[in-house]
Amino acid sequence: MMLRKILVLACCLALPAQAEDGAFSEGSEARNWNLTAQENARFTARVVDILCELTGDCPENCGDGRRQLGLVREADGALVLPTKNGQPLFTGAATDLQPYCGGTVEVDGLLTGGDAVTPGTAKVYQVQRIREPGGEWSRANRWTKEWAKANPDAAGEGPWYRRDPRIAEEIAKDGYLGLGPEADKAFILDWY
Amino acid sequence: MIGRLSAAAATMLCAASAHAAEGERIDVTGELIDTWCYFSGVMGGPEAVVGTAHHTCAMWCAAGGIPVGLLGEDGEVYMVLKLDGDDAANGGDSFLTLTNDTVEASGMHYARDGINYLVVSEVRSNLGIPNETHEDFGVIPGNAIPDAVVDDVLAEAE
Repeated sequence: MMLRKILVLACCLALPAQAEDGAFSEGSEARNWNLTAQENARFTARVVDILCELTGDCPENCGDGRRQLGLVREADGALVLPTKNGQPLFTGAATDLQPYCGGTVEVDGLLTGGDAVTPGTAKVYQVQRIREPGGEWSRANRWTKEWAKANPDAAGEGPWYRRDPRIAEEIAKDGYLGLGPEADKAFILDWY
Repeated sequence: MIGRLSAAAATMLCAASAHAAEGERIDVTGELIDTWCYFSGVMGGPEAVVGTAHHTCAMWCAAGGIPVGLLGEDGEVYMVLKLDGDDAANGGDSFLTLTNDTVEASGMHYARDGINYLVVSEVRSNLGIPNETHEDFGVIPGNAIPDAVVDDVLAEAE
């Protein structure tokens, strides 16, 4: 059992992370996250509703926070996919970009993944800082504040994902492995 | 004058086509995954962040608004923008509740700037979570199951 745990730990630590300089790295002050094929990237872009951009299905205000948002980079017109905000808390970027729907922003963050994971695929983006052109930078850390406003009954100690009622409901129903509570018990008895 | 109007119309058409991408109807079978952990390597290689091993973390990420992707049998990841008509891809219930399920889906595929996007019109079947990666990796991250839960199960078994 111990050997299995050591092998798993080794697998998880064997990250193929290697910092790279890219076409948009100049001036970036993004923090290092030791990500796969990590590349600093600071650029100016228009914030778009991706579904609208691709299909022409365009509700007002980018869907009022329901939808995933993208960044159409000013320099080359590329649609960059933000998948993460700056918080180390399992939180995406759309909520941080929502206030800028349709507007132009400057963003600073990290590109990651791409060919190193799936050949022929572009890197996705982690937004760490946002500002309107010429404005003050703000950290991309809005997500947890919005979650707290939407979940006043879940206030308390510990990170949001341990208190989120929707996640708690899913775990109560299907367990931590998604196979049901009995499978969780069998796994714990075998693994711990 | 007609020439100028034609040129203006052509310009407008070009602008419209630059705005919307060309879509293609496709069927994809695959697992609905957490795309941040999959691409970033933040928790290890791609094989460790799919299936049962990563199910709890994938729920955290889906609820947290990280894009859910459909990892097809062809190895491609399709970023899901709509699921059975639900456009709440930023943390919505449909995306959360199907995390790590393997599904057969039909929808419109759009490719732009190296990323695949999928607008799922119908989930034709759901096979649950057959990808039992916990047998090889445990849970990723290692604290996905709280210590108190582990302790309770172990105490009950004694």
